[in-house]
Amino acid sequence: MASIKIPTPLRAYTDNQAEVAVNGATVGQALQHLIAQYADLETHLFQDGKLRSFVNVYLGDEDIRFLSGLDTVIGEDAKLRIIPTIAGGNDTPRLDAHALKFGNGATIVLLLLAFVLNAPLLVAFVALTQLLGGLNLPFAPYRLAYQAALRAQLLRPKVVVDNAEPHRFAMLVGAGFNGVGAGLLLAGAEAGWLPVAVVVVLANLNFWLNFCLGCWMYYQLNRLGVPFFRVSPVQEQS
Amino acid sequence: MTVVLNEASRARLLASLEEAYPNEGGGFLVGTRQGEQVVIEDVLPIPNVFEEAEQFHRYAMTPQNWATMEDKADSMGLALVGYYHSHPDSPAIPSEYDRVHALPHFVYLIASVVQARAVSLFAYELVDDRSTFKELPLVSAS
Repeated sequence: MASIKIPTPLRAYTDNQAEVAVNGATVGQALQHLIAQYADLETHLFQDGKLRSFVNVYLGDEDIRFLSGLDTVIGEDAKLRIIPTIAGGNDTPRLDAHALKFGNGATIVLLLLAFVLNAPLLVAFVALTQLLGGLNLPFAPYRLAYQAALRAQLLRPKVVVDNAEPHRFAMLVGAGFNGVGAGLLLAGAEAGWLPVAVVVVLANLNFWLNFCLGCWMYYQLNRLGVPFFRVSPVQEQS
Repeated sequence: MTVVLNEASRARLLASLEEAYPNEGGGFLVGTRQGEQVVIEDVLPIPNVFEEAEQFHRYAMTPQNWATMEDKADSMGLALVGYYHSHPDSPAIPSEYDRVHALPHFVYLIASVVQARAVSLFAYELVDDRSTFKELPLVSAS
């Protein structure tokens, strides 16, 4: 009688048997006999009547895809083996919403502190931090601080399906406003607090209401076909 | 189901994924699965054989890797209890690609590696109907 060796995880469906005896003149028939005995295996081996792409069946040392596939004729004592191809990857645009919240919260606190202390250099620091974050640089201070908080288990990631690019653009817009504000303040013009106030308001909208004006601007520019604004909203992507 | 990972294996696993950065890295988890607990005794890094240009977001092993390691684990009285891989500069949560290529009753450890440093590691398992992964508690052992 032919036999099929079962991969370890699927032995949960074969009463923990590593090998199952099967009847059949072809690989396909042998697999059907296996499924007749253990019906729960089917969904993990087949999709739409075909072997799943990561499921390989070997006859001895030969992958049946290089023989005649499921029509491969087998002998009475054939040794078949099911071997998965382990594979993984990452496709969907995702981001960590808590990292964004962390950045927005830090911006709000630091800018309010700068106003209370009348410290234009702190505004300049926030502008620089937003610039580095907007450019997605590994040493951006918000990123480093957030990663330290993750490692210390003070925070946990909250992953959501979203594009990172519009949020980075929003950070660059914030950096621009804060940069202008810091420049004016360092030149002695109190009007420099106006663009800073705009950033505080927008960061609060983002922090409390999840409304990102910079992202909205980004997607409008994308809609108009402006170069560099190539990412469309997630639900419109195919 | 709880996944137990000793500190030495955790360190070796994360180091291998940091070394693979900016590409995805991965390997097998060998151990025991009894009742509601999977104990990982060892981690075995396996080279990424996916097309090189795609390795930044893809990881794969050969079927021969599986066959060899499964036989070895079986002969040692252990089992292939799962596999691990990295998501460079991405969160440590399973992707649709992961789900499509997954088997149930197998632990998936996924690490987020950001700028060559592993920042998080989570454990998952595919549910029986293949519809989604569920997160499993991952605990340390000395």
